Amino acid sequence: MILILGGFYCVMGILPLFFGNTAHIMNILIMILIWAVVASCWDVIMGFAGIFSFGQVAFYVIGAYAGAILSVSLDIPPVFAIIVAGVVTGMLGVLVGLPCLKLAGPYVALVTFAVHMTLIPFLKGPLGRAIGSGGSQGILTIPPINLLGFAFSSEQLVPFFYLTLFLTIICTLILALIIKSYWGTAFLALKDSENFATSLGISAFRYKLMVFAITSFITGLFGALYAHYVGMLSTKMLSMDVFTILMIMMVIGGIGKYPGVVVGAVITVTISQLLAPLGMYRPLIMGAMVVILVLFLRDGVIGLAQKISPLQRKFG
Amino acid sequence: MVFEIIDVIISGLINGSVYALMAVGLTLVYGVTKAFNFAYGSFYNMGGYFAWMLLIPLGIIGGYFSVFFAAIPVLFAVGYLLEKVLVSPLRKYDDWEMKVMMLTLGLSLFMDFGYQTIFGPRIKSLPGMIEGTLEIGQVVLFHQDIAIFILSVGGMLCFGWILKNTRTGMAVQAVAQNPAGAQIVGIPKDFIFAATFAISTIMVGLGGILLCQKTFVDPMGSTDIMIKAWVITAFGGMGSISGSLYAAFILGMLEAFVGWHFGMIYVQIATLTLLLVTLAVRPRGLMGRE
Repeated sequence: MILILGGFYCVMGILPLFFGNTAHIMNILIMILIWAVVASCWDVIMGFAGIFSFGQVAFYVIGAYAGAILSVSLDIPPVFAIIVAGVVTGMLGVLVGLPCLKLAGPYVALVTFAVHMTLIPFLKGPLGRAIGSGGSQGILTIPPINLLGFAFSSEQLVPFFYLTLFLTIICTLILALIIKSYWGTAFLALKDSENFATSLGISAFRYKLMVFAITSFITGLFGALYAHYVGMLSTKMLSMDVFTILMIMMVIGGIGKYPGVVVGAVITVTISQLLAPLGMYRPLIMGAMVVILVLFLRDGVIGLAQKISPLQRKFG
Repeated sequence: MVFEIIDVIISGLINGSVYALMAVGLTLVYGVTKAFNFAYGSFYNMGGYFAWMLLIPLGIIGGYFSVFFAAIPVLFAVGYLLEKVLVSPLRKYDDWEMKVMMLTLGLSLFMDFGYQTIFGPRIKSLPGMIEGTLEIGQVVLFHQDIAIFILSVGGMLCFGWILKNTRTGMAVQAVAQNPAGAQIVGIPKDFIFAATFAISTIMVGLGGILLCQKTFVDPMGSTDIMIKAWVITAFGGMGSISGSLYAAFILGMLEAFVGWHFGMIYVQIATLTLLLVTLAVRPRGLMGRE
């Protein structure tokens, strides 16, 4: 696992040397890094902890809006705004997670998805405008990240790319550590048989709440990072095709096959960028892709690789 | 003021009756097959577009009577085929519940943008079933509203009768109670799964035909309907038909009153709050079984 991830980030780290001047490709690379982490968080919560959370995009958007509102309305320096946004999202994650702990699988999907759907009227309506979401117009003037007098603006993509890469590696390490540690095993045990796991003294309450807190913290952090990268936000981020893109990453990577989603993110972001000129047909194709991939690509690329390669244990 | 409130109650009752029709279909399919259908709202729109296509461009003879007559077999066929082709191959995997959710979510996106590609992004309006009004004192009732109410309640009663008295209906109940046991006594489980899915498609499609006359056929409105139907189902208790009935009318009323007093934008927030509070107190909904 570490091998695949290490190789991936090394390749990502070298790529700007060749494409540093092409803004279009740099944009794709940055988006791959951001989505890879967001999708990894979803994989941890859904594939490892076995919680059917459909609120991942919602947390991402909450983080983005929180970061933007903090730095636009309250004039907090973006670096702190991003961290505070992560903390806020983490707390909201716990708040959403609390009622979900008592509920059975599909109910959790429903509640988290309902949070997603409620965010749209909330952010567009007077309640959202009151906290500075800018209504249906969105937030347009988000300042770039400023670190020790150096501005990571969207004109210079290479420094921002390395900043993102740095954050990505830290968050990936955290997630990998969680998966490999006692916690990861506890998640798996809870997913496989909650009754048996609790009988061995694993607290379902504590671990499930923890997984909500950590994944939503990291997701919120990257949401805020994204907000400061693009400089403007609108509720379009909550549309179904964004959700579907994230889902395709999961399906391509394989649910619960951790480094798989990172590969899924690379493939999906590239495909989605290539399909961008198709306009309205893009979501149509994306939707069809989900249906076909779920039906035929059972365990994602990792499952496929396991079938073909004799080195099965390596990916576990 | 009093008459306004009466109007709001009437609109709550009518919306509630159509929601009940849709939610009963959804709770049935969840109770029997345990498949979580995220494309439910897109089937609602399918009903709406089907009616629009027959009534406006084709100008079918017999109006809504023919529409209902044609819609039931078509919706049944679509639902049956979709279950056979898309949902049942997933059943052999361990994590099929999650896979069905993802698949139907993708299907819903595909269908919504499919409607947009075929029919264009503009909303379509359906003509009313019958014109005219009924005046009782100062309260004005539209004949159309009465017809919608009667048809959806009638449809539900008819469905309840089928479930309780016919052989197929009893087989559906048996599969819901114990799939393995039902198979032992010779009930074709796979057929029942597909048939239940198809029946739920009919119910939501008819709901679409009925309710789209009052609103519009909106290609992007399907997630809204899907969330509403699911909230009602979860609120009433998944798999409990009487629970969905109560929940549908409660939510229809809540929606009407919140929309009237605070504005439509708060409806979704109020609905979610009610759902969260209910699930916090009763994790399996109003009438859910353990």
